[in-house]
Amino acid sequence: MSEMGATAGTAAEATKRQSWFKNPWRKPYFLEGVTVLYLLWSLVPVVIAVIFSFNGGRSRSAWQGFSLRWWTADPFDSLFHNPSLRQAMIQTFKLSSVASVVAVVLGTLFAIGIDRWHGRPARGANFTMLLSFVVPEIILGVSLFLLFTQLLKNTVTLGTGAQWLGLIAFQISYPVIIVRARLLTIGPEYEEAAMDLGATPTQAIRKALLPLLFPAILASFAVTFADTVDDFVTVRYLSGKADSEPLSVKIYGAARASPTPAVNAAATVMLIATLLVIVVGYLIYRRISRGTGDSDVGSFAQL
Amino acid sequence: MAERHHRKMDRRSFMRRAGGTALALPTASAILAACSKPGSTGDATGSSGPVDVARPGDPVTLPLNGEPIPTDTPIEAGATLQVYNWSDYFYRKVLAEFEEQYDVKIEWTTFNNMEEGIQKLVAGQVKPDVFFPTTDYISRLVQTDLLQPLNHDLLPNMANNVWPSFSEPGPWYDQGWQYTVPYVIYTTGVAYRRDHIDDSLAQEKGYELLWDPEYTGKISYYDSYRDALGMAMLRNGDLDPNSGDPAVIDRAREAVSELVGPLQGKLTINGTYAKLPEDEYYVTQAWSGDIVGAQWYLPRGTGTDVLGYWYPDDNKGLIGNDTMVIPTTAQNPRLAHEFLNFFLDKKWGYENFVNYNGYQPPFTTIEPDTLISEKVVPPSLNRAIVTEEMFTKAYVQGQLSADVDDLWLDAWDQIQAGS
Amino acid sequence: MAATSTSDPPAPTRRQKKKAKASANEASGAWYPRWYWPSFTVPGIVWLALLFLLPFFTVLSVAFGTVDPIFRQPLPVYQPWWWSFATFNETLSKFYAGDAIYQGPLIRTFAYVFAASFICLVVGYAVAYYAARYAGKYRVLVLILLISPFWISYLMRIYAWQSLLQPDGYVNDILTGLHIVGEPVNWLAGKHITVILGLVYGYIPFMILPLFGSLDRINQSMLEAGRDLGGSPFETFRRVTLPLSRPAILAGLVIVSLPMFGDYYTNNLLGTTQTSMFGNLIDNAVTQAGRGPEAGSLVIILMIIVIVPMLYYLHETKRAAAAR
Repeated sequence: MSEMGATAGTAAEATKRQSWFKNPWRKPYFLEGVTVLYLLWSLVPVVIAVIFSFNGGRSRSAWQGFSLRWWTADPFDSLFHNPSLRQAMIQTFKLSSVASVVAVVLGTLFAIGIDRWHGRPARGANFTMLLSFVVPEIILGVSLFLLFTQLLKNTVTLGTGAQWLGLIAFQISYPVIIVRARLLTIGPEYEEAAMDLGATPTQAIRKALLPLLFPAILASFAVTFADTVDDFVTVRYLSGKADSEPLSVKIYGAARASPTPAVNAAATVMLIATLLVIVVGYLIYRRISRGTGDSDVGSFAQL
Repeated sequence: MAERHHRKMDRRSFMRRAGGTALALPTASAILAACSKPGSTGDATGSSGPVDVARPGDPVTLPLNGEPIPTDTPIEAGATLQVYNWSDYFYRKVLAEFEEQYDVKIEWTTFNNMEEGIQKLVAGQVKPDVFFPTTDYISRLVQTDLLQPLNHDLLPNMANNVWPSFSEPGPWYDQGWQYTVPYVIYTTGVAYRRDHIDDSLAQEKGYELLWDPEYTGKISYYDSYRDALGMAMLRNGDLDPNSGDPAVIDRAREAVSELVGPLQGKLTINGTYAKLPEDEYYVTQAWSGDIVGAQWYLPRGTGTDVLGYWYPDDNKGLIGNDTMVIPTTAQNPRLAHEFLNFFLDKKWGYENFVNYNGYQPPFTTIEPDTLISEKVVPPSLNRAIVTEEMFTKAYVQGQLSADVDDLWLDAWDQIQAGS
Repeated sequence: MAATSTSDPPAPTRRQKKKAKASANEASGAWYPRWYWPSFTVPGIVWLALLFLLPFFTVLSVAFGTVDPIFRQPLPVYQPWWWSFATFNETLSKFYAGDAIYQGPLIRTFAYVFAASFICLVVGYAVAYYAARYAGKYRVLVLILLISPFWISYLMRIYAWQSLLQPDGYVNDILTGLHIVGEPVNWLAGKHITVILGLVYGYIPFMILPLFGSLDRINQSMLEAGRDLGGSPFETFRRVTLPLSRPAILAGLVIVSLPMFGDYYTNNLLGTTQTSMFGNLIDNAVTQAGRGPEAGSLVIILMIIVIVPMLYYLHETKRAAAAR
């Protein structure tokens, strides 16, 4: 009797386990755990790096007390007193702002054109666009370096100008992809309606299409800006004198040599800059698209 | 001025005709004396490039490709002086002092190794007013008209402060110092932590210390092909660091591969002054200035007696000096002359050395014996002090001909590809 | 004979109607001159032509050119009929002939890229799946956190890891504290695993995003249908979710693995010459005297390696688009 009871007991347990396993609505402990671990793994190192910019000693791996030494206090090596780091900050902003604006403008025009134009050349241009997105950046960097030091050596010198050209070339694909995705959901009806009402094609674009595209344009500006602040492969090959080296190149050089926490501080500045742009972009986006039901972070992120 | 130049040249060419390797002259010219070049024929023959390869035993007078700027050229006011140098090679305070004295700004672009520096200069990507090449590039830079001759009247500190051998008759790579002034002098040896390695052990092993499996993972070596392969050659017993012999180069390559491979040695340019003091490395290939400068990177509480430096007893190791030159593309040549003179000043050159750099300038006002008593150099690093006498025995790495350079670069390529 | 319409001003005129019919390909109902849309793309195309095609031509000219005799700087040869393939062949032979000194880096690169892409896929899929289907009220937060690495410089993230992996860094502190290892491990001394995980760390956000987008759009009803037809959760996943997310998996793999082939900085920051990759070969050659043509040749070879999967991917997406 007890035996049967026992087997019945284990059988019941077994079925309970099985049914738990087969229940599709159970809480996904495993996946949740993986995601939490992943998020920690992904973000904690960066948080630690930011904290270490306030380290009292020279080390970036052993905590030696809190101090503002690397930000402002040290008269020669701190971020704000080191003229080369300061210049690098200025250079970063100079490069990113111009490059993103031009890339977004060119990219938006390109996306509109590609979307509406059907034909062979369109696919060719499309292919080139996709290629620029996926090709390893070292290929672009080295090719541009060789271009500006050999073929165009008397037209373009390495430095800020060359860096702008290179950055824009590499970044055009982001606005194209983002704006194009948006365009797919906007049909031609709006411009047609505008032209029915008497607008010329250009006016229709300006007054009907662009406002609808504005969220996507904004998002692509934010993404492009963030990407150009971080870019260093192309920029490094195209830099000339010391004052054309942005923060990213300085950080790379220092990381390979002997970094002090001032490098952490510089990286934190880059982080704050991109964060600001993203947040401001999101706020403007929310304001603009209020009432269209599109204003949550999810759709912003999915642009 | 032009006349004086002309006269000097005459004297020099006379001396050359008289077999002017200056063997008969007193110690001061020891720098020019036949530096030992034992072993292989090197690249003295079969040089495929159109350049005269200079050696300490075979000094060269470079052709004058123009006139130096006139003495009465005004100093460029409010300019930004472009300086192109290794990183961590200037004391910022001395730069700031120059900026203040002349009311100018200094922009300091850096390179990580000589090849990179030369490449950017030659390609015109950097247009500095002052450049700091090693001696093996001087001939080529002059030949391609990249350097301008110096006006000696604007550089009085050469006569006042610097070892006479650098001006009379001038160094082997630039007799008559037409294009160069010396910056600092240094030897290349082995630096080590005395708290992990005994002095006696270091003395016994010498170069072999870097190849000791005991210190696997705690070794660093210079990320520069001349230094890396050169020291490996000396360690192998091939005593010509300018060798063109493929077998010698191959042996050196294998030695370096072993060092970066199984022994996990790190190829870096600052292992000595940045990492050795932090006890991350126990033994490193070191330029003498790097190990002297390392004392200022020690963490608080660690004494300078943990630093040690080994150099061959018979002084048959690697030695050299850096130079300061003014490229032809300089925008502010008059100010550049002032800059050169400033760093040859016995006060400011010395400041640069003792507070930051660690690299000894060849000043007559510096007595090697008193460097220790004045606490500039720690006693444990006495071998890092460079004397004029050392230049008689030690090996200088001079320019290689194109073929030989290719062999060296191929070997280096193989090392960098991790094979 | 068209009917004359004299009464309705807003209605399209006869001429417009004709044009509209004629250009059936164009947006229906509206009239644009034929050059209209292409003109939008002109600035972009000109830019790309200048900064992609021209540089590539320069690369070819340098690779098939020579060096100057004194400083050994690259001397490109711009006339294709004078191109010399000697250096290119020599570079190619370094991959398989004689000492084959480039073979190591090539094999390592493929190995690292495959390993890292695989890990990216597995981990990325799990995370994207959770975020898309289970996150519930935390959805927005999780999404923001997942996207945040895009705003943080790749350099800073790898640099952060470099700091943690120092002999006296926190990773070793934790490992020795938990007695997993006896003494600190030198992670940065040329360990393959360090470089692979570094690559994963850097590129995984590019995998997660397309996967999330695709998994998010899978209709709940499809999954329920699968369950209704008697499938276990695993089977539903295998037969419904996986195939539906296949385009995104492909996209993610392409976006992640292709740039990895040219990566050199991850190894420079986290590894040594023993873990060098193809990108390092190029980077070393570009900055060295006498190696200009070799650098150009290596760039061409890398381009070839990358174009093949790229073309396959484009073919796949076109096929998928046509099938829809």
